[in-house]
Amino acid sequence: MPHITYVEASGQSTTVNIPEGWSLMQGATTNGVEGILGECGGSCACATCHCYVAEDYLAKVLPASDTELAMLDNVAAERRPNSRLACQIKANTALDGLVVHLPATQE
Amino acid sequence: MFSFDPYSPAVDADPFPYYKTLRDEHPCFWSPEAQMWVLSRYADIVSAGQDWQTYSSASGNLMTELPGRAGATLGSSDPPKHDRLRGLIQHAFMKRNLLALEEPIRDVAKQVFGQLNGVDEFDFKEVSSQFTVKVLMAALGLPMGDEALVPEHEVRENAVMMVQSDARTRAKGPEHIAAYNWMQEYAGKVIAMRRAEPRNDLISNFALAEIDGDRLDDREVLLTTTTLIMAGVESLGGFMMMFAYNMATFAEARNAVVTSPELLPDAIEESLRFNTSAQRFRRRLMKDVTLHGQTMKEGDFVSLAYGSGNRDERQYPNPDVYDITRKPRGHLGFGGGVHACLGTAIARLAVKIAFDEFHKVVPNYTRVADQLPWMPSSTFRSPLVLALKRV
Repeated sequence: MPHITYVEASGQSTTVNIPEGWSLMQGATTNGVEGILGECGGSCACATCHCYVAEDYLAKVLPASDTELAMLDNVAAERRPNSRLACQIKANTALDGLVVHLPATQE
Repeated sequence: MFSFDPYSPAVDADPFPYYKTLRDEHPCFWSPEAQMWVLSRYADIVSAGQDWQTYSSASGNLMTELPGRAGATLGSSDPPKHDRLRGLIQHAFMKRNLLALEEPIRDVAKQVFGQLNGVDEFDFKEVSSQFTVKVLMAALGLPMGDEALVPEHEVRENAVMMVQSDARTRAKGPEHIAAYNWMQEYAGKVIAMRRAEPRNDLISNFALAEIDGDRLDDREVLLTTTTLIMAGVESLGGFMMMFAYNMATFAEARNAVVTSPELLPDAIEESLRFNTSAQRFRRRLMKDVTLHGQTMKEGDFVSLAYGSGNRDERQYPNPDVYDITRKPRGHLGFGGGVHACLGTAIARLAVKIAFDEFHKVVPNYTRVADQLPWMPSSTFRSPLVLALKRV
């Protein structure tokens, strides 16, 4: 299972193993990572699983869909070029070692 | 020999002992009565819910599907069609876009629950159904007041009937189909009304929506509207019954939220985990899948037992304890993945306001009866009647 590291705005870092195919949002909420809310349950409908993908992995993550790009307009924290919604990124072996930073607020 | 029949009244009444056996001994179980596989562990349900390419919804998502519905609604279609339909609707259901509904919802709650002043014993369904229908009518833009097409209670009664199934035939009975047809006819009249004179409401916008210059086809508009009314009224109403059931049963938790209403959201989340009304939905396999030593074949139906995943001790310690301090993140009370419930934000908002107002009028109460009449449904679970009395 790929391991993914979540770094909260406070600096706290949590590394978890996520089953392949699970979203990074699901991996966070299931493992007690506080900085991701995922209020809508993973249907790309609430923008509360905002994360910043480490630059060195950007090319390995599938690009955002139009739906995700539109929903990113609704994030509460600053939107950056590496902003993504964690519910739309599925864990796979190519993402092993990925680090995502979480914003200070999701709502 | 163990059997799991989602049509049996025993499962309607208390599915949780069955779920435990399923999780521990038969995590990938073929139910001959339901003619489908049953997945019951949290991790397996999450994996299936994320993998819509394998676990398709296009053959219907209700355990006992309604005729002609599969493929034309959000819940019964796969991406990209699903995303196209959802894109037209979900904006209206986002949390920040619901702020304008907060005050009207509170007014409804005050009026409806205010009727209980001076009443010692009552059926919670009588008040929760009035509240639910009025809230949904406001949220969707259904004609109300002078322009109402039908009495409000008929909307509620038909929504509740159409999700039921017959325990003996393990199918929809004529009364369930009649309710479904009633709802389609009602939705059709509302759509025609809004197309003739559009307003700034969800159904007007949806009925007139175009995608890349094409209008949605009439069947999609009709059945999606039908489903929004059904899902809104039945699911919100069913969940409110379950929440009231928990609040009446667990006095310590109720006292905590009555004393500190800011704890209501935590209590609602724990209820969504503990015994949500949406117990089971189904998918259909697009390829063979081998899981826990069983091979499920392409074309087979699979039940995702959300209510079981929420009680999986592999995910939640002491899962059979109702604990409002648990904060059960990642629960399956609204499903998960692309098909996670569209109405999460309005459901949370409406239930919070409803119980805030209900508890101002009736702060202490208990159930009158130990045994309850449970709705016959292979998909949803809630009591048909919930008699409460003040204590």
